[in-house]
Amino acid sequence: MEHAYLGIDVGSISTKGVIIDKKNNILSSQYIWTQGDPIGAVKELVRLLEGQFDKEKYKIVATGTTGSARKLVGTIVGATMVKNEITAHAVGTTTFYPDVRTILEIGGQDSKIILVENGVAVDYAMNTLCAAGTGAFLSSQAKRLGIEVEEIGDYALRSTHPTQIAARCTVFAESDLVHKIQMGHPREDIIAGVCNAVAANYLNNVGKGKKIVSPVVFQGGVSKNQGVVAAFERTLGCKVIVDPNGHLMGALGVAILARRGSGRQEFDFAMEDMEFRTREASCGGCSNNCEIICVYRGNELIDSWGNRCERGARVH
Amino acid sequence: MEKQTITIGLPRALLYYRYAPLWKTFFQELGMETVVSSPTDRDILEQGTALAIDEACLSLKIYLGHVAALVGRCDCILVPRVSNFGRHRNMCTRFESTPDLVRSVFRDSGQKFLSYEVDEELKKGEEEAFVELGKALGSTAKAAKKAYKAAKKAEAAFHKERVQKHEQLYKRENIKVLIAAHSYVIEDPYMGRAVTEYLKRAGVISLRADLVDREAALKHSRELSPTCKWEISREILGGIQQHKDDVDGIILLSAFPCGPDAMVNELITRRVKGVPMLNLVLDSQSGTAGVETRLESFIDIIRFKEGKL
Repeated sequence: MEHAYLGIDVGSISTKGVIIDKKNNILSSQYIWTQGDPIGAVKELVRLLEGQFDKEKYKIVATGTTGSARKLVGTIVGATMVKNEITAHAVGTTTFYPDVRTILEIGGQDSKIILVENGVAVDYAMNTLCAAGTGAFLSSQAKRLGIEVEEIGDYALRSTHPTQIAARCTVFAESDLVHKIQMGHPREDIIAGVCNAVAANYLNNVGKGKKIVSPVVFQGGVSKNQGVVAAFERTLGCKVIVDPNGHLMGALGVAILARRGSGRQEFDFAMEDMEFRTREASCGGCSNNCEIICVYRGNELIDSWGNRCERGARVH
Repeated sequence: MEKQTITIGLPRALLYYRYAPLWKTFFQELGMETVVSSPTDRDILEQGTALAIDEACLSLKIYLGHVAALVGRCDCILVPRVSNFGRHRNMCTRFESTPDLVRSVFRDSGQKFLSYEVDEELKKGEEEAFVELGKALGSTAKAAKKAYKAAKKAEAAFHKERVQKHEQLYKRENIKVLIAAHSYVIEDPYMGRAVTEYLKRAGVISLRADLVDREAALKHSRELSPTCKWEISREILGGIQQHKDDVDGIILLSAFPCGPDAMVNELITRRVKGVPMLNLVLDSQSGTAGVETRLESFIDIIRFKEGKL
């Protein structure tokens, strides 16, 4: 049996999974919405991945998780590698684009920039805890304008006179947008304006002070939006590469890290039928009242975290 | 009848992290007792947040929580006004306003407060301030002056020893990260401690830009900015200037929203080049995930660079 490696990226908005072989060829891949239920999303993801996967020929010997739910999901799937999304994206992208110099990434609640020299990430920046201008903003504005988030790009490309939208803060951008709607600006111009605002906001905040050198690769859910891609190309004055698998880059990166790592644990697809639940417990050992998350498989506690000190380790 | 000992309350926040040896020795020399509030916990943070206006910085919110924890537990609580040590040597305006602010917030508590004022631009030096403080507590000017001298000596010795010990860390072999932060941010269990403890678990040596010889740091700070007006920021700038080549990365750590840091951190990112830098802003949200993701990836970048990942 040949060895294969599973990478799972559970973000705030979407859940991504890939299975790769030793040479990083994709054997199976999936992209679904998280919908506020990372455990349910991962079970569904695993079920879909299993459908495309040749279990006679391959076995999964290592599993990596990344994204904001990496720890929870890592516990559930028995991950051999749990890595933050920045590292996962850097590893994934430099594997497929060894010449890349700048990686732009806009996800559901985070945005980041990674600068690469000679295939090695040398500097990065990430949005502060504020999520202005990320995918969450785009999807709420799409809803407000009565279109699907997937349609934003097509609308934006039809616009010839993008409306100016205040880019600094999501709350201001939203009130500005409502004002522009009421003033009678055409919908495609407003949508193009929102896309420009996202690009401008990104470059002024996350990209501030960073030297953006070509080749530039743009990824994360928002890279699927042609309007934002066009806005970046116009502002940066260079081509922006969007990989057809760009949305999978975090999952690919963490699958590669799992392959390179020393941990080995055969992945069991049976987890999709198991019952997992989490419970929040308050420690009460001192006035900090740490919020401790306990993860159960059936009735068995498999992991817990959130305690600031040892006292919390006893609370289940 | 035996004279009752006066007890002075010291809130464990803001300038406590700078002046603890000075204050404690001074009051001790005058035969008084000091009581320090316990390290920040969630109660203190929540109480402070309830007492402060929304726009106040996290550090001030925590400070008010510590003051509240001392109310009724001592004869008076020390809340100094430290304005400046001369031209281009200002403290954050926060430290000018705290005595008025605290008196106003706790006006109905019945608690007595004690203050001293340092404002070199108005010719109010620290020594005179402490002599006045001693006199207000019933000491003679002579005794107060003597206590101040002893306290100053203790302060210098404490800082010197600390700096010397800290300098040894630069000689270690592991990955080293220099943290630029105010002492009351980096040492507080609810702010910077989460960061330094995370780094420790990750096997990284965390160093502090502010733990340097202060006079030398003030001089070096001019190389980065001749006009920066904040004393503590200048110590940090000087520390960075002295040690930026000895470390693998720099973390700019602030409590939200910090006026001086908003400007000085921007200055640092523009003028200090060639070393990976992470800008980390802490606020009172209890989730540490955002902070951990940023720290983990920052350490990964350093390891990447060294080919260790």
